[in-house]
Amino acid sequence: MLTYILILLCLPPLCAVLALAAGFGNNILHWLHRLTATAVGVCVALMAKSFNPAVPYVDDYFYIDALNMWVIIIITTLYLAATWTARNYLTREERCGVLKGEQLQTGRYFALMQLFCWTMFIVLLVKNLGLMWVAIEATTLISALLISFKFTRAALEATWKYIMVCTVGICLALLGTLVLYYAQLDALGGEKALSWLYLHEHANSLNPAMTKLALLFIVIGYGTKAGMAPMHTWLPDAYAEAPSLTSGMLSGALCSCAIYVLLRNLVILLPTAGAAMMSSMLLFFAVLTVAIAVPFVVVQRDVKRILAYSSMENIGIMVAGIGVFSAFSLKAVMLHMYSHAMIKFVLFYIAGTIIQEYQTRNMMRIHGMIKDVPHTATFWLLGMLGILGLPPMGLFFSKFYIMASMFREGHWVAGSLLIILLAGVLIGILYHGMRMLCDKSKRQPLGDLLGATDVAVLAVLLLLTCVVGAGFENIPWLNNLLNQAVRIIGG
Amino acid sequence: MEYLVVSLMFIVFLQTRFVELRRATLCLALQSALIAAACLVVGMSHGSGLHAWLPGVLTIAVKVLFIPYAILRVVNQLRDEREIVSDINVNYSTAFAACSLALGYMVIDGLLPQAEGRDILATSMFMIMTGLALIVMRSRAIMQMIGLITLENGIYLLGLIMTEGLPLIIELGIFLDVLIAVVILVILTSRLRLSFKTTDTNVLDKLKG
Repeated sequence: MLTYILILLCLPPLCAVLALAAGFGNNILHWLHRLTATAVGVCVALMAKSFNPAVPYVDDYFYIDALNMWVIIIITTLYLAATWTARNYLTREERCGVLKGEQLQTGRYFALMQLFCWTMFIVLLVKNLGLMWVAIEATTLISALLISFKFTRAALEATWKYIMVCTVGICLALLGTLVLYYAQLDALGGEKALSWLYLHEHANSLNPAMTKLALLFIVIGYGTKAGMAPMHTWLPDAYAEAPSLTSGMLSGALCSCAIYVLLRNLVILLPTAGAAMMSSMLLFFAVLTVAIAVPFVVVQRDVKRILAYSSMENIGIMVAGIGVFSAFSLKAVMLHMYSHAMIKFVLFYIAGTIIQEYQTRNMMRIHGMIKDVPHTATFWLLGMLGILGLPPMGLFFSKFYIMASMFREGHWVAGSLLIILLAGVLIGILYHGMRMLCDKSKRQPLGDLLGATDVAVLAVLLLLTCVVGAGFENIPWLNNLLNQAVRIIGG
Repeated sequence: MEYLVVSLMFIVFLQTRFVELRRATLCLALQSALIAAACLVVGMSHGSGLHAWLPGVLTIAVKVLFIPYAILRVVNQLRDEREIVSDINVNYSTAFAACSLALGYMVIDGLLPQAEGRDILATSMFMIMTGLALIVMRSRAIMQMIGLITLENGIYLLGLIMTEGLPLIIELGIFLDVLIAVVILVILTSRLRLSFKTTDTNVLDKLKG
């Protein structure tokens, strides 16, 4: 296991250094990028194969149990998808004239992307809550460079907001972590400082007043990173202004990471802080997040911003699922994390393609996609159906389970509010999406730009959500993993 | 330690008064130097070996020398150094700082009665709030950066007093993060200067809805 972890942590930075320093040609760079990701993917697959969900892997710095294994699988899938589609995407960007001075730029993009995934892997692998914080802050910084990649005015504005809001939020999480450490020192002494495993064993002996304070800061801090209202202001700007591949990674992978860290901290804090406080806090924030997203979805004109607000809606649903905190809802959150990551990546990728095809981001100017660009249109339609949670796609099941669990556990008010708000999101996205698909086009697209590799990768992602969402109970390994993960969180 | 607390409070108040970027940066360096001193004092009195002096020395290297140097480099490229704000705005942030000092004492008394370092805990709360105030109320990019470092210093001081410092590896990680954050913010600030001809973040208002 340790060998796999070390390979996992060595390859991406190595690739990044090579991409930056070696001055390879574009072709070699692309293959280097793809092969690194594939090697990491094989590594994770072997790891998952030899991994027994009931027996976590522990050593001095790393810790793998069912919970982070699941998120590692999500991130690796997106990482693979992002690297295999990168070639087509970047070639098209260059042709559209957005990325000039190709050689250096492509290398820089790949290096940043690899480092970004690397920091996310560190978040997922480390055992120590303090190091987890350090790694989360590192993801913010690396992704800031990815968002501002083109250094246009809008990208600069988005990045500035992103860094300022996220860093302040993350600093609050650090404050929470410090308070937790103080509680640990108080109750258990200084050994194994902030080790998750150690704290998990002794979670009951922490001082409740301190853990409540820590809970407050940690929820707000990591909630900011995930994009929870009212600290969400960076989210639509950052998702919309980043290159589309990056937006997909930010929305799918980074948000999952933030929620993972939140869950890890909750496991420690809940036994003493009490689930009631956490539950009411998270349900309130969840409904608020969705409520803020709805009006912006309905009146939106920018094709990427509408996806960003839909991400907020999904984050709200996941947070609500955590707020309910029953075994049923937590399992649904795990599934939701997966399906949302896959579908949102597909949607952002397609949105990027649409922008390249039509040379505009304004949805009001894009019509008749189904006739002019049938491939793109098909995936756009499938992605939309997926993100709205319509039956064949995985998100239907997880959304349904989360809503059902809310009513089951007696959160009637929050549940009913959420359903009404979700109807609003459905109307908004469907209205805008259908307008783009149907009608007669006034603007001629450059052509159907979706390449063969893209189609394959996106189709695989969409199929995976269907299979996992509908059939997780019939895949014993997966079901076992999810059940174990839920047991770890303690729902 | 008392002298340290009083001078730290004074410096942070002073920090809210400056409108000129170069002086504000120097003030930040002074503030970080005091934090480094506190770090060394606490380290020497409690621990031994690497953990006693390394964080203090790193604070000096990173926050007293490198960060102000990096900020000053950007400031030197700016033609118009003064922050364009009315005096009222500056007074607001000072008033807010004063309120947050009182609030800091109230919070500490409420949460940790009879705590040992009551003054210094309150000071760190005060620094955190003041840092936030600088980020929210000031519009120049550099002033916001200074606010961020003040906030970070406050949290660092709080951690130092409450827990006698985090484990070494985590502290190293935090230093690395602060370092990279400042490098990235400096890059962004000079890009702002190139694209917008100003580093006033009030011009960043195009993305809405």
